Amino acid sequence: MKIDVEHSLLWTAVAAFILFAIGAVLTTVVPPMVDKTLWASEYPVHEYTEQELRGIEVYKSQGCVYCHTQQIRKLASDQRRYGWRLVEAPASESWEYVNDKNHFLGTKRTGPDLARVGGKYSSEWHWAHFKNPRDMGEKFPDRKGIYERASIMPSFAYLSDEEIKDLTAYLQTLGRNKNWRVDENGQPLNDYEL
Amino acid sequence: MKQDTAAKTMVMASTIFFGLALTMGLLTALKFVVPTVGEIEYLSLPRVRMLHTNINLFGWLLQANMGVLFWILPRILHTKLFSEKLGVAMAVVYNIALLCGFASIMLGNVKNVEYGEIPAPFDYLIALSWVMFVINVFGTVAIRKVKYLYVTVWYTLGAVIWTTFVYITGNMLSQMPMVAGVNQANLIWFYVHNTIGLIFTPLGVAIAYYLIPKQLDTPIYSHKLSMIGFWVISFVYVWTGAHHMIHGPVSHWLQTVAIIFSFSLIIPVMAVITNFFGTFAAAPRGTRMQGPIPKLLMMGTVYYVFTCLQGPFQAIRAVNEITSKTDWVVGHAHMALFGTFSFYAMAGIYYVVPKLAGRKLYSDKLGDLQFWIMTIASVPFFAVLWISGVIQGFAWLNPENTFVDTLAALKHAHWMRFGTGGLIYIAYFLFLYNVLQTFFGKYHKEPAETAAAE
Repeated sequence: MKIDVEHSLLWTAVAAFILFAIGAVLTTVVPPMVDKTLWASEYPVHEYTEQELRGIEVYKSQGCVYCHTQQIRKLASDQRRYGWRLVEAPASESWEYVNDKNHFLGTKRTGPDLARVGGKYSSEWHWAHFKNPRDMGEKFPDRKGIYERASIMPSFAYLSDEEIKDLTAYLQTLGRNKNWRVDENGQPLNDYEL
Repeated sequence: MKQDTAAKTMVMASTIFFGLALTMGLLTALKFVVPTVGEIEYLSLPRVRMLHTNINLFGWLLQANMGVLFWILPRILHTKLFSEKLGVAMAVVYNIALLCGFASIMLGNVKNVEYGEIPAPFDYLIALSWVMFVINVFGTVAIRKVKYLYVTVWYTLGAVIWTTFVYITGNMLSQMPMVAGVNQANLIWFYVHNTIGLIFTPLGVAIAYYLIPKQLDTPIYSHKLSMIGFWVISFVYVWTGAHHMIHGPVSHWLQTVAIIFSFSLIIPVMAVITNFFGTFAAAPRGTRMQGPIPKLLMMGTVYYVFTCLQGPFQAIRAVNEITSKTDWVVGHAHMALFGTFSFYAMAGIYYVVPKLAGRKLYSDKLGDLQFWIMTIASVPFFAVLWISGVIQGFAWLNPENTFVDTLAALKHAHWMRFGTGGLIYIAYFLFLYNVLQTFFGKYHKEPAETAAAE
């Protein structure tokens, strides 16, 4: 049988589909089969409470992911920048995300990465920051007007108090699967609810 | 039903959505410099950003491509559209789904899928209208009066087959309850990248493969290169999704595979580009750049070269360390979707609108002016984003810089983006005015010369 692709609707369609399907299967179906850490974890992973799940919905609906990634890449610069005091943040690993029904790995850092933000700031700080981000953080007093405060995060003052509390509860869980923040005796810190 | 009603509807709707998308883009750019503008929930920065991408991708670009192809396909295949009624029904369902989807995004009802934020049930409606489009494409090819399938038809067939699976994977399968975490991220990036690679690239290239030889009245430079371009892209594009997670928490081998295939993309792209430039080079010198259509096609192709060299470059692990997650990526995405594929789509619209209206384009001069403003504004628009991306990437390397320091350094770049974006916005209105005048304006009704030849 002579296969004359250019004259046949069937052959063009079938060939285009098969060539596509090879790559599609090998990059979407095969990875979770080869690498179990994409969907299962050997280590304990935090189960979200109802309040935290509501916080996840707020996070999604407000589109936080478009400015904040949630992945410490395997790069010294990421690990230093998003560390705590003098401790470097451990790189994110796939098993940490297995309970995230909504992934927020993100592609753009207009704001800082949030993968290890849990416990770094008090919940009161987050409250004030959501109300007006430009009240918190550094100022540049030698600059004028809109240049004085560099943060360009939108104010989330329109959220209800409950929503801000839910969102904060979720933020405080981020990164705790690795229990990387320890006190002077080497004991894991448990100050997330503060 | 009157011939070409579907094409006309979709071209008109897409032209209007283009303006809406650019408005959202300009508002996003403004919020980057003055964050307190428009501080209400429905117009908060992330919502406007989601609207900008979704209206651009689905309201403008996909719809414009489908509308132009509804006109082109029957002409190449020497037949009528398989079903004009199905085409119009599809246009109506699609636009209703889009409007409801955009309203949902504004209200904050979204999926966590980049480029696929439109939630259920409206994404299912979009999939339904896509199936209606697929039936029409296959039907039109099946009832053709010529034996030979031209390159444009291959790309269209490829796009409709691939996109069906890409769209379902990204929007439906990724939301299944057993899909979570990094596995979900992998499916979604498969969708995000292939939205560009397997929807807009083949549809845009399909339109250019028809318009360039037709407009220049010159046969396509090389048939062999067309074949290489098409068959290689259908094999290599789909592998590249994981290059969005380089250095990230996904399997190392998958990242390497994505990087290697990002590089192999140079092959099909260079084949296509050589073919396009070769055709331009062979065309009669005196007339080949007359009017806005060949200019848009030429500039689109130039941007296509740069986008597709930039892509593999930024997939290199060492380069990715600096450019990834910065403004650089935004510049790259704009060059692909605005620089290349929106230019092709505008060329397509300038080509089909006079045919649909049955008379010449209202003003070639206005078209030229729009082209020049858009081109002269888009070069600094992209460049300033790359420059600020590199500044940002290197600033992050130094732990002495606080995050706000690194953000404060970009203020001037963001002002530049707003300014050049504003010029593009102004040029859009020239485009809109030209299209509206051609359809509805009162001017001398002189039928387009080429209309008789069709």
